[in-house]
Amino acid sequence: MEWLSWFSRPENTKPLALIIFFVTFIGILIYVYGSRKRGQKLESYRDIPFLDDQDANKDKQ
Amino acid sequence: MNFNFKHEWVETNVGLMAVLTMLAISVGGLVEIAPLFLIDKTVEKVEGVRPYTPLEQRGRDIYMREGCYTCHSQMIRPFRDEKLRYGHYSLAAESQYDHPFQWGSKRTGPDLARVGGKYSNEWHVQHLVAPRSMVEVSVMPNYPWLLTNRLDISDIELRMKALRKVGVPYSLSQAEYDANVAKFGETVAHQLHIPDARKNLVEQANFGNYDGDHSGISEMDALVAYLQVLGTMVDFSKYSDDAFVDVR
Amino acid sequence: MATDTHSGAEPAEQYNFDIVKKFAVMSLVWAVVGMSVGVWIASELAWPFLNFDSPYFSFGRFRPVHTSAVIFGFGGSALFATSYYVVQRTCQARLFPDGLASFTFWGWQTVIVLAAVSYVLGYTQAREYAEMEWPIDILIEAVWVSYLIVFVGTIMRRKQPHIYVANWFYLGFILATALLHTFNNLAMPIDLFSMKSYSLFAGTQDAMTQWWYGHNAVGFFLTAAFLGMMYYFVPKHAGRPIYSYRLSIVHFWALCFMYMWVGGHHLHWTALPDWTSSLAAAFSILLLMPSWGGMINGIMTLSGAWDKLRTDPIMRFMIVALSFYGMSTFEGPMMSLKEVNALSHYTDWTVGHVHSGALGWVAMISFGSLYHMMPRLWNTRMWSPRMVEWHFWLATIGIVLYIVAMWISGITQGLMWRSFDEFGNLQYSFAESVAKMMPFYAMRAIGGMFFLTGAAMMALNMFMTIRQGQRENAAAVAGKLAHA
Repeated sequence: MEWLSWFSRPENTKPLALIIFFVTFIGILIYVYGSRKRGQKLESYRDIPFLDDQDANKDKQ
Repeated sequence: MNFNFKHEWVETNVGLMAVLTMLAISVGGLVEIAPLFLIDKTVEKVEGVRPYTPLEQRGRDIYMREGCYTCHSQMIRPFRDEKLRYGHYSLAAESQYDHPFQWGSKRTGPDLARVGGKYSNEWHVQHLVAPRSMVEVSVMPNYPWLLTNRLDISDIELRMKALRKVGVPYSLSQAEYDANVAKFGETVAHQLHIPDARKNLVEQANFGNYDGDHSGISEMDALVAYLQVLGTMVDFSKYSDDAFVDVR
Repeated sequence: MATDTHSGAEPAEQYNFDIVKKFAVMSLVWAVVGMSVGVWIASELAWPFLNFDSPYFSFGRFRPVHTSAVIFGFGGSALFATSYYVVQRTCQARLFPDGLASFTFWGWQTVIVLAAVSYVLGYTQAREYAEMEWPIDILIEAVWVSYLIVFVGTIMRRKQPHIYVANWFYLGFILATALLHTFNNLAMPIDLFSMKSYSLFAGTQDAMTQWWYGHNAVGFFLTAAFLGMMYYFVPKHAGRPIYSYRLSIVHFWALCFMYMWVGGHHLHWTALPDWTSSLAAAFSILLLMPSWGGMINGIMTLSGAWDKLRTDPIMRFMIVALSFYGMSTFEGPMMSLKEVNALSHYTDWTVGHVHSGALGWVAMISFGSLYHMMPRLWNTRMWSPRMVEWHFWLATIGIVLYIVAMWISGITQGLMWRSFDEFGNLQYSFAESVAKMMPFYAMRAIGGMFFLTGAAMMALNMFMTIRQGQRENAAAVAGKLAHA
């Protein structure tokens, strides 16, 4: 368990945290905004909250 | 991104989503909390810090019961004004036997980490019963019942045994007692011995007479005994000013 | 009228709305109770005679009653209500299973009542926001696991292949709360038949565990979960889809990952090792990004329909909530800077900051969502739209009074404590700083009264709305029978 103390030194932990955070963050960003096609697909899920209205609306009309 | 990951996998699989979420939320706590238990330097080595006597511990229980921590901190920060107002900044070692910690988060009233010995017992009793009779502008509630409530000492052994289980060196056996003698000296070790807890408590209360009333042991006795020991265990004149700097 | 009822009757069978209704009503009850206690304890600080020399109403015992009733009673019940509503509607599936859902209701209400009674009687773990003693903690654990089963079970029954983003946030909140609650409440009871227990950890480790819990109670209970609410009710009420689904993906993962790091900023300059609190501060600053991403996502959902803000008080609740969310997620990182924290810590500024989040964000988004949801549940309209309007203004004025009072008193305190006279001695005694607070404590109590009045108005309005809905539905059923 001695290796865990490596994390206790700010000079190690700060850059490490920064690197982990940044790589993951950039990865997510590239994934999410990298491709137009994927973007359109992802955005299509915005409408889910409105799907359950359709039946009710039909009834009303 | 050649392995063709799709966020949709996550969005359509609640199990996968739960696992990934758990992963994301576990990192921070692991990296920040786990090392605190493993690193020796987290708690400084200083002389004098000892577990509370039975009476002081009961006082601490009352301190928690009344929610004193909602208005008083017990953590002095390393600033010049705090040193002048309260004393030497608090060390981790000083709360090493505090289950739970009572550092607090708000100073509606002043910090109490080193209140021990600053005022007389009589002052504390009067101040707890009627704070505004001592400090005109105080907004502290009156605590008259502390003086009239007799201290319940029936479960003192149970309390100390529970604390012993979570790591406070109260002794049950002769071997544990001897270890305490080696560590804290005989006077203190005697106070930490669970089989003698009740006797010790009564003796300390009668001898200290914290509430100024000999007729019985009140909750006031216990609370004042606790307040009077706060911050007095470490003798800072033995240490140089920057003895603790590297651990902060 | 008859056709209207018809469209409402069908989903009532399709979905379990009964449990949603129960939680929604209780969240209003706890709002009024919890905020009343809040106003009381705020007044105790301004006028100490209100402690009445009674152990049961003294500030120290009463304050946890306030925090638990508003956070877990009002906030918690609102979250149960909306999460059960949202998960059913976005998955188009009935809650699974009904019995367990019912247990979460009765279990949770029992928790709040037991907590309040036990604090007043002096049973407490003396850990902020986790004061409940061990038997109550075990009940919470049972309710929470049931909640997870119901929520995940319902998602697994969904007809819609995709899990909507609001549900991610609710799921994250349920998981994180389970984790935090479990580890922060590890304690050794002194006896199986005693309420008293002692924390497993001591001193520094205990402090870090408690504030890891404490800040993430804010991060997940009071933020992530209410963002789930936001991601459903803001688009739904505006009648427009969320501004950017992709932004919500980034928002979710960044928030989940980063929040758990920041608890240490509550322990700046203490005996907690410096590396821990500095790391926490660094993450607190970074957290600004996802927070504001979420705020922008919510506010921009309304772009192109800004006129709704003029005509629709419910929309206004939601937008003001998002604005306060943005404000307090800016103020928070700023206060986590060690230099600012040196001044702000231990003062009323912290209290003000908490309330700009709790009143401004949490309560306002809940009010907006409940105003949207509850008339629909009872298949009617709000009894008095004018009272909704009044509620909005009372609440907003109340928050502003509260926050401004706490800013002034907090900064004053901080400055008085650290000021020196020409000889290098402390310029003020502690008592002098207390004396200076009096007008601001009074102002804060008055702000709280405004807010409470609004909430009480809402409760009354909702009570009348429910009665109106029940009457209309009864009439419709009678009409239908007569028709047949």
